[in-house]
Amino acid sequence: MTPVLEAVKLGKRYGRHHALTDVDLNVPPGRVIGLVGPNGAGKSTLLQLACGLIAPSSGTIRVLGAAPAAGPAHLARVGFVAQDTPVYADLSVADHLRMGARLNPRWDQALARRRLARSDLDPRQKAGRLSGGQRAQLALTLAAAKRPELLILDEPAAALDPLARQAFLEHLTESVAELGAAAVLSSHALSDVRRVCDHVIVLAGSRVLVAGDVTDLLAGHVRVTARHADLARLPGGAEIVRYTDGASGGASGGAPGGAPGGGAPDEGTAVVRTDRALPSDGPWTTADIGLEEVVLAHLGRAAGSTTPAGSTTPTPAEAHR
Amino acid sequence: MIWMTWRQFRAQALVGLGALVLVAGWLLVLGLRIHGAYADTLAHCAAREACTGPLGAFADRYGLQVDLLGYLLLAVPGAVGVFWGAPLVARELEAGTHRLVWNQSVTRGRWLAAKLGLVGLLSVAATGLYSLLLTWAAGPVTDILDNRFEPAVFASRNLAPLGYAAFAFVLGATLGLFLRRAVPAMAATLVVFAALQIAVPALVRPHYEAPTRTSVPLTADLIGRLTKIGTYGDIGGLRVPGGPWVVETSPILDTAGQEVGRTAWFQDCMDHSPLAELPACLAARDIHVEIAEHPADRYWTFQSLETALYTALTATLAATALRRIRRHPA
Repeated sequence: MTPVLEAVKLGKRYGRHHALTDVDLNVPPGRVIGLVGPNGAGKSTLLQLACGLIAPSSGTIRVLGAAPAAGPAHLARVGFVAQDTPVYADLSVADHLRMGARLNPRWDQALARRRLARSDLDPRQKAGRLSGGQRAQLALTLAAAKRPELLILDEPAAALDPLARQAFLEHLTESVAELGAAAVLSSHALSDVRRVCDHVIVLAGSRVLVAGDVTDLLAGHVRVTARHADLARLPGGAEIVRYTDGASGGASGGAPGGAPGGGAPDEGTAVVRTDRALPSDGPWTTADIGLEEVVLAHLGRAAGSTTPAGSTTPTPAEAHR
Repeated sequence: MIWMTWRQFRAQALVGLGALVLVAGWLLVLGLRIHGAYADTLAHCAAREACTGPLGAFADRYGLQVDLLGYLLLAVPGAVGVFWGAPLVARELEAGTHRLVWNQSVTRGRWLAAKLGLVGLLSVAATGLYSLLLTWAAGPVTDILDNRFEPAVFASRNLAPLGYAAFAFVLGATLGLFLRRAVPAMAATLVVFAALQIAVPALVRPHYEAPTRTSVPLTADLIGRLTKIGTYGDIGGLRVPGGPWVVETSPILDTAGQEVGRTAWFQDCMDHSPLAELPACLAARDIHVEIAEHPADRYWTFQSLETALYTALTATLAATALRRIRRHPA
C-alpha cells in the first residue's frame, strides 16, 4: 500500500540554520500519527513540507504517493490545519464554509454543518471574534469537510485551555473516524498524543529520534530497576536509552508512574530498548512502560547526549509539559 | 476562486466605487457644461470673423477644473497600486491566512492568477471609465489649447491611464508577494511607480519615434504666448500651432541662422520696449527657432506605444509573481 508519508534524506535549511536534517520516514496508511518533540525540533517544518507550503532544501518527500501540493486533485486529498489556526478575521463562519464549498470539489456541506453545530459555532459570527478554541474548531471543520484522505494538523491545540483542548481532540477523533482518513498531528503535549495517536514520530534537534506504531514502541521498551553496575549484565540487543539515579527519583521528566520512590538507595531506573523480553532471573526488576516515558527517555538522551552516561541530565523544558 | 476573490475584495471595491461615482458625477456635470458653453461660444462666433478671443476665454474658464481632474487621474493608478495591489497578497502572508487558502483544492498559481485577473480587471475598468469621462468632458478645452501631447495631458487621456492602472496594480501585488508585508509594499509601490511616471515621459517617451526637426517662424502672436524670454534669447513655453510635442527648442535665430541673443537690436528691444510692444519689436526682425518635435499626428501612435510598454511591463511582473509563488511558496 502507498505510504501516507514517505521521506528520503529530507532536509530543510534556512540560511545556515538546519530546521530538518536527513529525515527518513515511511508511515503506513490508516494511522493517526503523533509528531512530538520540543519547540524548534522541526515539527512545523516537516508538516509544512508535507503540505507543500515550503519546499525541501534536499531530499524528497512524498505524500499519498505524490509530491506535496502536486495539483488540485492532490490538494483535495490532504487537509491542513496550520499552526495558530489562521482564519479570515472579517469573514463570517458561514463565509468560511462557502469558501470551502467553492474551492473544494469533494466538499461535504452536511458534514461541515454537523461539525459546526456540534462545536456550538454561530454561522453568522465573524471569525475574527471567535475564541481560540472556536477558531481551531472552525479550522478543523474546514479541513475535514473537504473529505481528505490525510489530515495534517500543526500544533492545533497548543494555545487552547484544557476544556477547549479536550473538545478539540474529541472533534478530531470523531472526524478522523468519520472520514476514515489518516492524520498527522504535531504536538509538544504528550498527553494529547497518547490520547489520539497510534503511531509516533519523535523529533529533536532537526532529526528523527524514533518512529513507530505505539504498540510496537511499548512492546520494544521496558522499565528496568537495578543498580547501575548491574545494567552491564543486560543481554545483547538491549540498549539503555536512559538511566536515572534513584536518588534523583523521577528525574526522567515527571512522567506519571516514573521511578518509584522505593527500592534500595543505590538503585536507579533505566528505560531499555529491547526486541525480546529480558530474562526474569537477572539482578533487576522489570515493569511495563508508558508512551510518555519512552518518548521522554529518547528526548532526554538526545538533549543530554554530551554529558557522561549515567549522570542525571536535565531534561528539556518541553518534556515537563 | 472568483467568489472568494470578490468576497475578500468587496469592502475595498465599494470604497473605490464610491469615489469613482463622486468623480464621475462631477465629470458628467462638468462635461455637459463645457460642451454646452462650447456650442454657445461657437454660435456666438459664427457671426464674426475671428473667434480666438472668446474661445480663449472659454478655455480659461474651465482650464483649472480640467487640469485638477487630470492631475487626480494621474494619481489614480498610484492609489490603485498602493491600496488594491500591495495588500492583495501581503495581507494574507501577514495574517497567515495563506496557509488556510493554499490548502484548499486550488493551486497557488491559480489562486494568484484569479486574484490578479479579477482585481486587475476592476482596476483597469475603474481607471478606464474615469479616463473616458475626462477625455470626453475636457475635449473642447484640450482642442482649443491644442495641448493633448503635453506630458501631463497625454498621461490623463484616452488609453494611457489604462496601462498605468494595470501596471501599478500588478506592481503592488508583486512587491507585496516579495516583501511579505503590506505597509513596506505600499511604500515601495508608491516610490517605484512615481519614479517610473517621471522617468518615462522624460527619458523614454521622446524616443518612441525619431523627432523631426523643423524651424518655426516666431510671429508676434507666438512670442506673446511664450512663458519665458531669456536675456540672451533662450525661450520657454513655445506653443507651436497644430499641437505637436516640442521636445527641444533652440535659442532665437535670425534669418542667417545666427543667435540673436547678444545683438544690439535684441538687447534694445528687451531693454526699451514696453512689455506689450516687445513681441512686435522682436517679430519685426523675421526671427525663428529650430525645434525637434513629434508632429501632432503621431499622438495615437504614442498613446498605443505607451500603453503597449506598460502592458508588457505588467505581463512581465505578473509572470514573475506567478513563477515565484509556484516555485518558492512561503
